[in-house]
Amino acid sequence: MSRRAESTEFSMPVLLLFVTGTAPRSQRARVNLARMLEQVGRDDIQPHEIDLLEKPKEGVKHSVFATPALMKVGQGGDVSVLYGDLSETDRLQQFLSDLNYD
Amino acid sequence: MDPEQTKLQKRRTGIPGLDSVTGGGLPSGQATLVLGQAAAGKTVLGLQILANAIERGESAVFVTFEESTAQVKRDACSFSWAGQLLGSERWQLIDARPHPDAQVAGEFDIEGLLSVVGASVEDASETWIVFDGIDQLLQYQPSQRAAVEQVRRISDHCEARGWTLLLTGKTDGGRMTPAHLDGIEFLLSATLILSAEVCDHQLKRFLRIAKFRGSGHVTDELPMIMDDDGIEFPFHEPLPGADATASTERVSTGIPKLDKLLDGGVYRGSSLLISGRPGTAKSTLAAHFAEAACRRGERTLYVSFDELAGPYVRNLASVGVDLRSPMTAGLLRFVSLSAHASQVTEHFFALRRLLDEFEPQCLVIDPVSALLKATASEEACMVTEHLMDLVRRRGITTVLTSLTGLQDPEGEATRGQVSTIADSWMVLDYNVRAGERNRSLSIIKSRGSAHSNQQRELLLSDAGIDLADVYELGTDVVMGTARVAMENEAALKERRQKLEHQQRRLELERRMELAEQERRRLEAELKLEEEELADAESLAQVYRSKIRERRDPECEIPSVHKGTDEGDLS
Repeated sequence: MSRRAESTEFSMPVLLLFVTGTAPRSQRARVNLARMLEQVGRDDIQPHEIDLLEKPKEGVKHSVFATPALMKVGQGGDVSVLYGDLSETDRLQQFLSDLNYD
Repeated sequence: MDPEQTKLQKRRTGIPGLDSVTGGGLPSGQATLVLGQAAAGKTVLGLQILANAIERGESAVFVTFEESTAQVKRDACSFSWAGQLLGSERWQLIDARPHPDAQVAGEFDIEGLLSVVGASVEDASETWIVFDGIDQLLQYQPSQRAAVEQVRRISDHCEARGWTLLLTGKTDGGRMTPAHLDGIEFLLSATLILSAEVCDHQLKRFLRIAKFRGSGHVTDELPMIMDDDGIEFPFHEPLPGADATASTERVSTGIPKLDKLLDGGVYRGSSLLISGRPGTAKSTLAAHFAEAACRRGERTLYVSFDELAGPYVRNLASVGVDLRSPMTAGLLRFVSLSAHASQVTEHFFALRRLLDEFEPQCLVIDPVSALLKATASEEACMVTEHLMDLVRRRGITTVLTSLTGLQDPEGEATRGQVSTIADSWMVLDYNVRAGERNRSLSIIKSRGSAHSNQQRELLLSDAGIDLADVYELGTDVVMGTARVAMENEAALKERRQKLEHQQRRLELERRMELAEQERRRLEAELKLEEEELADAESLAQVYRSKIRERRDPECEIPSVHKGTDEGDLS
């Protein structure tokens, strides 16, 4: 699995961004996430994007059905999810706060 | 545009009552909203509709937003149709619960969900979809507008793809819709509201069709029950077509004299209500009817409230009614129900299922007034009305007994509305006179029959029930010992009259005899007189001819008289 491969390879939290094609909220989420990663100085992290319109089975696998949604898989395999277009920057920053110290 | 094409298409839910009140099911190719408090039966409704779809060979997708998949399966397992659902490969269960501790940073879409479900749907026209507890996901929407918009999105998607979908959401308190989904009940073309309320310490369930665009439907709150077979609407299942040709056949009540009073018995397929105070022999009368029905070889269902079969049958045997033999032969089924144990609605449903299963030709409910004791008895009227309608349509000849208050022998029967619906109505009562309590029977009504309006005395012996004519005394009727005395007096009077008549006859005969003797005497006298007259006549003639001879000697004298005549005259 790509997720697992990445997490072992880079030994860092993996970000999965669930989107549905070019839906406005999905577009906004991409932009908001990229901006935030840059802001916190982690633009080296490439979020793995999953388009549920193309790969609906991924939604069942990860149990994510609302898009956009940002999933963070910690090093211990713990999963947390942030729903929405990530327009609330405070929430997003807080969600990504543990990336700062990596 | 062809109106047939734009006309609302419906898809059967497979729940007879629901399909009946909606005129064929829920909108096909559209979303239907199901709202209700916790434990109102939303999930069960969804599961049951899916199970029915699976049984018809269709497919089903169940998306749960609130309960775990294990919990959903456990929900289904309480019901008789669990096997056909859980064992099928044509149903999919998708766990779409939001992640625990999920946070929200902005508005989100539901396209992903629709895409995931779309991947599971092969042929929309053959699939039922349930989104159970959609509010659990949508509550994460930061604004109500966005949440409502998602519901609209689901609705549009269903129309576009031809999905037939059930969308359930939880309401709380007195609210009609989930707090953050105000207004969604107007979005979709059909909305069902499920409710449950505690009444008389028992949970009562209802379903109401709040909206059904483009379709006629029943708008009442429909009493709903949930038993082993799942959700059912006892009062709204389609009724068998009424038999247009009313039977003119008479069936015996089991008491010959009563049959005579009823112009030959009760009509087949009609209903007879027997009301009366305690101990007026209502049950015995009903049992006579059942016994007679079984003797004719008819299947008879005997429903007793609050009485067990054993003692009941034994007590009846003591008055000469044998129910044991037909019970053993399988012709009579005795069912004992406990009035207090269930709601009226559930009793009705139990009866309905018994009628389906046993298909009796005759039915006895003893006493139907027990339904008034059952909880939620404000529905008792409705229940009895439905029951009467049902048995009439099925052509079941029915005898109902109704217990009435001590002071008011006709009271409760009318409270339950039975007396107005029943085709025939008899009231049993006591008459207390001269230290005696005698049972009486009177026929209050009997539709389509000439019937006696005379009150009769009801006699109960070890040979069963018999009727005796009663005597009028002034403006009252006479029964019991007084009747016997009256009967004796009448017999005496009759005997006296007979004797008098005989005497008079003898007297007349004697006088006739005398007259006859007199006639014969007079006749003899007359005859004698006539003979004497004839003799005198002939003497006179002889004398005249002798005179003529003397006056004319030349005339030859007859030789025979010559000698004597000469001697006499010389």
